[in-house]
Formats: sequence, C-alpha cells, structure tokens
Amino acid sequence: MAAKSSLLKVILLGDGGVGKSSLMNRYVSDKFDAHLFHTIGVEFLNKELEVDGRRVTLQIWDTAGQERFRSLRTPFYRGSDCCLLTFGVDDAQSFLNLGHWRKEFAYYADVKEPDSFPFIILGNKIDVVERQVTTEEVQRWCCDNGGHPYFETSAKDATNVAEAFEEAARRVLALEDRQAHVMPSDVVDLRRKPRSSSRCCL
Amino acid sequence: MHAAEMRIVPATQEPGLVCCGGGALFLVSAGGCKVEVFHTQQEECPLICRFSTMGIVHSIVYSQIGDYLVTIEEKNGATYLRAYTNWRYQAAEKKRVGVRLLGHLMRGQALHGTPKEQMEIVEIPLSETPLCTACCSITGALLVACAKSLVLFSLKRQSLNDQLDALDFERLLILYVSGWSPSQVALCGGYVAMQTELEVLVVKLENLEKICASDEEHMQLRGDVMAAAGVTDADGKKEPQSPFESDDYFVFPKHLEMLGDKAKDCGVSLTLEWTGMDTEANDNMGVTYILYRRFAPDFFQGCTVEETRLHSLQLHPMYTGNPDVSSDAENSDPACMFCFFSLPNAGYMYSLKNTVELISAYQYPEKAHQALLCNEFLHVITQNALQCFSVRCSAVAARVEDPYIDTTMKACPPFTMEVSALRIQLFIGLKSLCHDGNHIVLLTAADIETKEETERATRRSIKSKEQNSMAGIFLAVGINPTTSPALESFLSRSFLSKKTSVSKLKEPSESGHGWNLYVISTVSTLQLYREMVEYSKRYEQTSPLSQNYVHLLSEAHLLLRASLLCSPNTDRAKIQEAFQESCAHLGDCFSRLEKRDCHLALPYYKMSGLSVTEVIQRNVAVCRGPAPDYGNGFLFFLKHSLYEETMEELSEETANTVLEIFSKAEPGQLPYVVSSSFMKNANPVCVRVHLEHLELSGAPSVTVSLCKAAQALRLGDLHYYQQQMDRHAEMLQVYGFIEEPKLLVHRRGKAMVPTELARHLRDTQDGLLVAAVVALHENSKVKLEEAELFFQELCKDSAESQSIPQLLVDFWEALLVASSQESIVQELLFHLTSVYIERIMCRERSGIKALKTAEDLINSCSHYGSLFPWLNILTPAQFNITHDHQEDLQKLQSLLCGPTLDVSSIVPLLEQLPDEDNTGLSVHMLCATKLGQHENAIEKLLDRCPHAIVSYANHELRRDKMALWWLKLFPELCERIRLSSGDNGVLLTALKETLAVVAMELNPVEFLNLIPDDGTAHFFLAHLLKCSQKHLLT
Ligand SMILES: Nc1nc2c(ncn2[C@@H]2O[C@H](COP(=O)(O)OP(=O)(O)OP(=O)(O)O)[C@@H](O)[C@H]2O)c(=O)[nH]1
Ligand SMILES: [Mg+2]
Repeated sequence: MAAKSSLLKVILLGDGGVGKSSLMNRYVSDKFDAHLFHTIGVEFLNKELEVDGRRVTLQIWDTAGQERFRSLRTPFYRGSDCCLLTFGVDDAQSFLNLGHWRKEFAYYADVKEPDSFPFIILGNKIDVVERQVTTEEVQRWCCDNGGHPYFETSAKDATNVAEAFEEAARRVLALEDRQAHVMPSDVVDLRRKPRSSSRCCL
Repeated sequence: MHAAEMRIVPATQEPGLVCCGGGALFLVSAGGCKVEVFHTQQEECPLICRFSTMGIVHSIVYSQIGDYLVTIEEKNGATYLRAYTNWRYQAAEKKRVGVRLLGHLMRGQALHGTPKEQMEIVEIPLSETPLCTACCSITGALLVACAKSLVLFSLKRQSLNDQLDALDFERLLILYVSGWSPSQVALCGGYVAMQTELEVLVVKLENLEKICASDEEHMQLRGDVMAAAGVTDADGKKEPQSPFESDDYFVFPKHLEMLGDKAKDCGVSLTLEWTGMDTEANDNMGVTYILYRRFAPDFFQGCTVEETRLHSLQLHPMYTGNPDVSSDAENSDPACMFCFFSLPNAGYMYSLKNTVELISAYQYPEKAHQALLCNEFLHVITQNALQCFSVRCSAVAARVEDPYIDTTMKACPPFTMEVSALRIQLFIGLKSLCHDGNHIVLLTAADIETKEETERATRRSIKSKEQNSMAGIFLAVGINPTTSPALESFLSRSFLSKKTSVSKLKEPSESGHGWNLYVISTVSTLQLYREMVEYSKRYEQTSPLSQNYVHLLSEAHLLLRASLLCSPNTDRAKIQEAFQESCAHLGDCFSRLEKRDCHLALPYYKMSGLSVTEVIQRNVAVCRGPAPDYGNGFLFFLKHSLYEETMEELSEETANTVLEIFSKAEPGQLPYVVSSSFMKNANPVCVRVHLEHLELSGAPSVTVSLCKAAQALRLGDLHYYQQQMDRHAEMLQVYGFIEEPKLLVHRRGKAMVPTELARHLRDTQDGLLVAAVVALHENSKVKLEEAELFFQELCKDSAESQSIPQLLVDFWEALLVASSQESIVQELLFHLTSVYIERIMCRERSGIKALKTAEDLINSCSHYGSLFPWLNILTPAQFNITHDHQEDLQKLQSLLCGPTLDVSSIVPLLEQLPDEDNTGLSVHMLCATKLGQHENAIEKLLDRCPHAIVSYANHELRRDKMALWWLKLFPELCERIRLSSGDNGVLLTALKETLAVVAMELNPVEFLNLIPDDGTAHFFLAHLLKCSQKHLLT
C-alpha cells in the first residue's frame, strides 16, 4: 500500500489561545492574523511537501483548545500519525497542561504505546517579551516524558514554523520505515472477500 | 444512443473511482486521497474544485439532494464513513475544512457570528464496518450496508443563508439482515434493494417516504449540541441460520424468482429497529417484501462462480404528468418504481409498483462490466464497447398515467415488446460508466503493456469494426443495412461525426497515459427520433410489412413518450408534435397490417390528430394502382370512424373515394357507409350505382332498398323512391331501420338530427316512422330521451301550436303498448297523463289525428283499462265536446281505470284541472276512488250527479267497501231526501236500490237498527221482509 504513507495526519493540540490556528495559517498560507477567533470543533488543511526527497501530503488538523469544545474534537484524534502539543511561552498554565493534553490524546486516539508515539512539543509566541516558561523547563519536561523533540516557534514572525511541521513529517516517515521492516505484512486489505461458501457448490 | 458530442475531461491523475451527478463529475485519484470535481455541462469540462479526503477512498457516492458525497474511507487500518458537504466552497484549494460528528450540527447563533463558507465533513460513526452505500434520489436519505445490518439515515438540512445549507443526518433505523452481506444496495422512496453475488432482495419500508420527506420540519437545533452523539450500538443480535445452508454442504439452489408477498419466504429474515427521534413514526413502520431473485452459475455455459456475479443494482423512479407543470414532482410519490440488476450476460428490469413483474430481460452479446438504467436507455459497458439498449419504462408509466391506453381511444406499444440494441460504440478498455442528465461519463484504461499496440490497431480498424457491429445491431432489430444504401451511409456518417469530434481533442496516445475520461452528451430525443423514423422508412421500402418495421417505429414512439414524461423540456411543443407524427406513422403501419393488431390503427390515428380525410389520403396514396388493396387496419379505422360519429363531414371527392374503397373491400358495409352523416356529400348517383351493384351481386335486403329510397329523395326522384318503398312490407322495413338507424337519425353530439327520409316519412307514413322509432328504442338503438328529442326536432317547424307534438304522443302511446320495462312504463304514463290533462284543459286543438284511438289502446294495451260503467253516465260519448277532446279524456280515464298508473304520482298534475264540469269531475272522482276516498266521492257525486250514484256504488262499493252502503250511502241518502224540498225522485230511486243491497247484506236486527225513526214503515217493510227471508234461508 504505497498510498498509505503519502497522506500524513498531523494534529495540533493545546490550550485555547496558544496559537494552533495561527501556526497552521502561517505554515499553509504564510499569513498571520492578530485577532483570530477561537476555533470551534475541528478543521483541517492539506499541505504538500517534500522531505528527504519524498513527496508527502501533510493533513494538518487544527482543534478547538477550549474546554467546552472537548466533545467536538476528541472523536477525531483517531488515525493521527503525529501529535503537535502546543503551549504559549507567555502562558505558564498552558505549559502545565501539556501532560493532560498528552493523556487525552493517547486515550481518544487509542494509542497503544504512547511512549513510542511521535509527539512534538511546540512552544509558541517566542516573539513575546514577557515569557513565563523557560526553554530549560520545557526541555526537562520533554526528557522526562519520553524525549520528545521541542521547537520554539512564533506564528507571528514565522520562526521555526516550517521546521516544526517538516520534523513532524520526517518523524512519521521514519517510524513507518521502521515498522515496515519489522512487520512487512502489516497491510490489511479491508475490501471484503467474496462469500467463501461459494467454493463447494453442488 | 448516438454520440452527439464527446469530450475528454482534463484530469491530471489517473482516476480510481468515478461518480457524477448535479452537473459535476467526481474523480478519486488512483492514490485515493484526492477528489477532483469537473463541470460536465460546460464545453471544456473545467475543474470546479479539488479537495483532499481524510483517508483512502474505497467507495464514493453522490447525492443530488443535498449536493453531498458519501465515502467509505480507510486510514491506518480503520474504516470510516464520511459525508462531504458544501464541497463547492473548496474552489480555493487552501481553505480550511470543518469536521464534525453526525448529530453535532453546531451552527448555532451562540457559537458563531456568521456562517462560514467552507466545506464540512460529517463523520458518521458505525458499530460495524460499512461495506457499501446508496442515496435516495428523492429524499437524499442515506443507506449504509454493513455485514449484518443496513443503517438508514435521513438527511437534515438547515439553511444558514440563501446559498448555504448545513447538512446533518439522523440515524432513523437499523435493518438487521440475517445471513446476508450485501455487496451493493440501492435506496429510493421507501424501497430498499440489496444484492449479494447471486441474490437480489427488494423490500419496502412502509411510511418511510413521509418521514424522510418532511425533514425540513423535523429540523431543529438541539440545545445540547455539545453532548456526545447518540451512537446506537447495533451488535449482539443473534441471526438465525439461512435455510439454505446445511451443516456440511452449502447447497446452491437453482434459479428462483419470488414476487410480491411470496418473497417473504425467501429465507432472508429482516428485523427493523427504529432509532429515529420521532418515536411516533416507529409505530407505523414495517417491512414489506417486494422481490427476491436468486441465480446459480451455469457451468454448462462455461461460467465460473466468479464470473456469475450480480452487479449494477439500481432503483429507478419515474414520475408521470408534465414535469414542466408539476414542479413539486421531487416531493411527490413517483408513479413507477423500477429495479434493475445485471449478471455478466443478462440484465433484468422489474417494475415494483402496483404489481411486481419482470418487464424486460436483456441478453448482452458479450460480458458486461456495468450497466446503467435511465428513463430512455439502458447503457452497458463491456471490455471494449458502450452499448445502448431500449427500455420499457415509458411503456409502463404511460399505462399508469392514462387509463385510456389499450382502448380504442389510445394506444402505446406494449411493455412486453422485445427490447432492442440501438447502438454500439467502441472504446478501448472500458472500466466504468456513470450518468448524469443527458451525459454519460466513461473511464477507459488500457492495460499497460498492450496499450500502445492496441491503440494503433484500433485506430486502423475502428472504422470497419464499428460499422460491422452496428450493422449487426441493426440486423438484430430487423434492419439489413446492405439492402439499404441510406442506412449504410448513416453508419459511415455517424462514424465520421464521432471521428471529427474526437480529433479536435487530444488523442489518447498523445496525452501520454493509457487512460481517458470521456463525457458523452446524448443526442436530443428529437434528433434521435428523426433518425429512427428515417431508417424505418428506408426499411419499409425493402420489406414493408415486417414486424421489425413496426418495432422500430414503436421504439421511436416510446422514446418520445419517455421524453414527454420525464424531462422538463424547453422544446416540449416540438416533442409533442413529433409524438403526434409518430402516432400517425404507427397508424399507417397498423392500417396496412392484415390481422395481428391491425385494430391499433384506430387509436394511433386518433392520437395523431389527423383528420379522417387526411388518413384516407395517406392510405390512398400508398395503395394507388388498378386494384388497390387496402389493409384491414385501415378498413377497421374507417368503419369505426364512420360509426362512432366523431369525424368530420367528408368532401364529395373523399366521400366518393370511401364508397370506392368499401365497394371493393367490403361491399356488405355499403348500406351502413352511405347512411353515415359524414357521407352526405357523396354523389347520390354514385351511391345508387354502388348500391345497385351490391344488390346485383346477390345481396338484396330491406336495408339496401331503404338506402336506395333515401338516395332517391336526395335526387328528388319520387318515383324511384316509391318503387323502393313498395318492395317490402312495413313490418320488414322496421327491421331495416333497426339494422341501420342512421337511415332515420344522425347524432351530432347530444343532438338528434332527423334525416331527409325521416322527414318524408313524417309526412307520408307517420305510422311506419313511429313504429320504427319504437323498434329502435326496444332494440336499444336509441334512448327514450333521444327519441323524444328526435320527434321534437322532426316536428319543430310544423303547424302544431302545442308544445308536445302529436307525433311524439303517438310515439309514447305506441311505446307504452310495446314496452315491458317498468321504469320506461312509469315514465311514459307520467308523460301521457300530463299531456292528456293539458289537452283536456285547453280546448284548442290542432286537428291532427292521433294514430291510435282510445278504443285501440284499451284493446291492445293492459295499461289502458276498460272505462268504468258509471263514467258513461258522467261523461257519455258524444258529450258536448269535440271528438279529439273526448278521445283524450277517454284515454286519461282509461289510464286511471287501468292497473298500472300510480295515481298518487299524478295528484299534483290534477290540481290544475278544475272539476266544475263533469269532465273534470269524472277524473277527480276516479282519482279519489283509486286513492280509497270513497266517502268523499259519494258526497261529491250526490252533490253533482246523483243519477250516477247507484252505478258508482254498484261498481265501487264492494268487498271491503261494502259497509259503505249502510254506513255512508244510506245515511247520506236519507239525510238528503229529508232535506230535499220536493223533486227527489232520483234520490228515492237510489235509496230503494240501496235498501235492496243492504237488505241482502245485513241481518234483520241490524237492518231494523238502521231504519230511521221518522221513516215511513211501509217504505221499508218490503225490504225488511226480504232481509228476514234471506236470513231464514241461510
Ligand atoms: N504575538 C504573537 N501572537 C500570536 C502568536 N500566535 C498566535 N498569536 C495570537 O494569539 C491569539 C490566539 O491564537 P489562535 O491561533 O487563535 O489560538 P488557538 O490555539 O487556535 O486557540 P483556540 O482556537 O481557541 O484553541 C490570536 O490573537 C493570535 O493573533 C505568536 O506567535 N505571537
Ligand atoms: Mg484555533
């Protein structure tokens, strides 16, 4: 199933207002809006890119971070290839909540081994002067929780945005390659076989 | 189907799946994650938009209602069911796409300022893996088939603004299917069709249409939109074993067809679980079995199990009525519902409404990949050809729509008529087929290795190959193109037109890939119709009476019918015109046939709008020559038109032609033909010659003589007339008129027009005329009112002053003598009594003698009774009135004396009749007596005409009225005598007579009691003596 790897589902999670939608807009449309509405439910955008000579389509899922929209977003965690856990460096609480986000994702996405799942941590709004979370703090947290990669981004200044998404794609591809070596017969054909009973007709 | 125009869709990637509808073509690229949408209606098929799916698409279905797509997708090993709504907003590719779960419609005011113009994907969670889907073309409802159940969703629409609708679905019901996993399903109205490899089952969900149709009203935003979707878990049901599966062997039963209610024994059991919000609807839901079919692979035909596999399951609705007028057709119940499915070598079309029956079976010349039924055609693709067959939908629908079809009024080719292959077009490597309005979309893909080679070879051979297979097809419908140069030229022409259209576009090999997508627009119905008529004409020249010629014209006719029934038309008037023309062609066809179905000439000609004159001209033109040979159908048409009295008056020339035609073909019909009012312009000399010829050839008859007499009147030849009239006795002439009533009367709509002969008879032989009309009535040739109209019309301009002409009264009297029908008798009695009363009252008389005297009537008819004796005293013959008056009075008295007349019914009429004179008195007395008011009558009689009292008493005071002798008459007499001043001789005589009777009836004591105290003893003594003597004797 060659087509499997061409579409990669990447999901953005994190507290309301940390800048998930802004990151996606910056990456896909290279635009920034200083007065964005809160996201309701779930939306996605596709972005084609080439990483290490391979063409892939990133399907970037933007979710509503506010608590009240929880039931609208959780059904769509399933099938994600990579999860971008986002917080604002100017918002300590959003950093503290990363653990909850990780758990919510693992639960609803039905991830069997959360430790080997490709999470990427994004600390957004580094252009803001009044930081509440230090780089070291985050790096320590990443280490303690399975060694996730960490990017400090600014959707406003377009700092590190493309790099973060490309890394996501790279991680997924790497993981797929590894799995293909371990279990070459991983592919399941979903199309139904014809009724088998027709074998022995009289 | 003839390709009018073929375009190539500018798709950039090889399509995997294709579907279309609503003027759009949807391609899922081979990779399965991207949908490209193209305009099919526009010249260059431009791209409308392009969007990504969330997973690899395994199946895609479009619903025109709601303009949504449904996909079954797979991602990371999981299967999803998704609906793509408002996809048209993806025109700018880099737009965000909203995603939500079924039931989470959240466009509430509270949540959003303005609605977003963005595509939205509704994810529909299911407890089982979805296998296939179908959408209802009427309601937009969605049916999803899983391994053990079918789930039905109704479409919910909430309009956000003028253009924008937010869509959602409601899980209405689950249908658990035992031991059966459908490979394909279809949904339309309440009908659900499902198909496995070798079985088809169609059921109807009762009352579903109503629930689905009213989705707009049901639509309301729930306050708790944030609540989790009410996903119903639908497993845990234990299915019973299919009866066809035994423990050790799977027994493949033979072919099986179960129609209607019988289908419930098919062994597939269904259980319905209502999951909709409207719990009331649940009570009305039920499943009805409609159709079950099972096939077995035919190993002797070299089929394997894998090859014998059903495909192309379809439900196809059809509406009747003018689609331009009934714009709400989408919401109403379709008049017809068809189900189509196909095996590799054969297709089947069933009609599901009214009676469930197989309408058509198609035999494909080669293995079919896919077939598609629409109103006018069945399109079939095989490996290398697109074939087009005729369908019978319009033949079925026409009969549902119009009850007059299959009568002498209207006709339509039968739906049992063999279907035919209409056209084949060659393509290389056909993969799939879809259809939208008047466009067909074809996907071709050559196998990689052989691709280029085949293409080159095809381009070389396509001309001869196409011509050959088309020739084959025309042979199949009975056309031999080699004998028809025009047809051969058509074959090459159609090839050329195709070639030019292709050459404008990129040739497949130039585009550098082995696949292609074609949008083919179908030729307009009119153009196609004209071509078919064209071939049929060429064909007719080579073999005019073949059934195949009729077949081709019938196909053309059905095509127009389908177009009139189904598609809203800009050129409806033109199609209507062509339709009439096609009726005329069919009329021509059947008019020339000898036996089979020749009677169809009549309804087709009627529907054609042609006048009879035009039809005659058409047929005469064909049958020119020294000995023209007219077909039975034409003669049938002519006879009917002449007898049904619905046609126009023929000109002298045409009328003479008709005479010629019948003289040759059916001389025996001549008397009837010449008596028709439409023939009245025929040359009378000519007519006489033909009739004499008929007589000479050994068929002399009363009718012929009468016809000749009638013609003689037209010529003013009274001598000849008399000769003819004298040839037969009046009695026989009456039979002649029964055989041809038109000798006397013609009908013009409701009016009755007397013929010249009738007028002549009125003046010369009124008795014969009345007898003839009575005979016509008694033989059901005219109704009573019609006969009355006839006489009114006949006597309209006579000198008679009365409103009711004497001839009509004569007719009534004669009919009363002849008729035995109770209702007619009562009506006649009423008519006659009123006429008699009217005539008695107004003494003016026209002096026209009645045909029958009162005496005649009394002697010949039981309804006229003998006059009671006392009437002779009251109104003696040679009374002081005229004879006519006396006659009418006697007829009236006689009716009142007779047994039949119901007196109470004429009481209102009598009120106008004064009783000052004895004439009126006699009538009133008769009535009073008949009504049992004897005492009243006795008093009146004693007052007005006492010398009649004894006669009256003797006749009327009998049996149960006996007692009136002593209870009424005797005291009355005594009283009057006592009061009388002297001359009471009449009363005294009456008293004596009375006493004589009373003495015989009473015993002495009673008699004594009766005698008045002041009476003279000796007056009564003799009677007392008689009385006692009688009693001593007994
Ligand atoms: N200065 C600065 N502001 C940012 C940056 N990214 C986002 N913002 C602003 O932060 C606000 C919230 O950003 P969003 O992208 O809507 O946040 P979100 O994570 O999508 O929020 P929800 O949709 O509620 O989950 C907006 O006003 C953005 O303009 C950034 O990198 N720097
Ligand atoms: Mg957002």
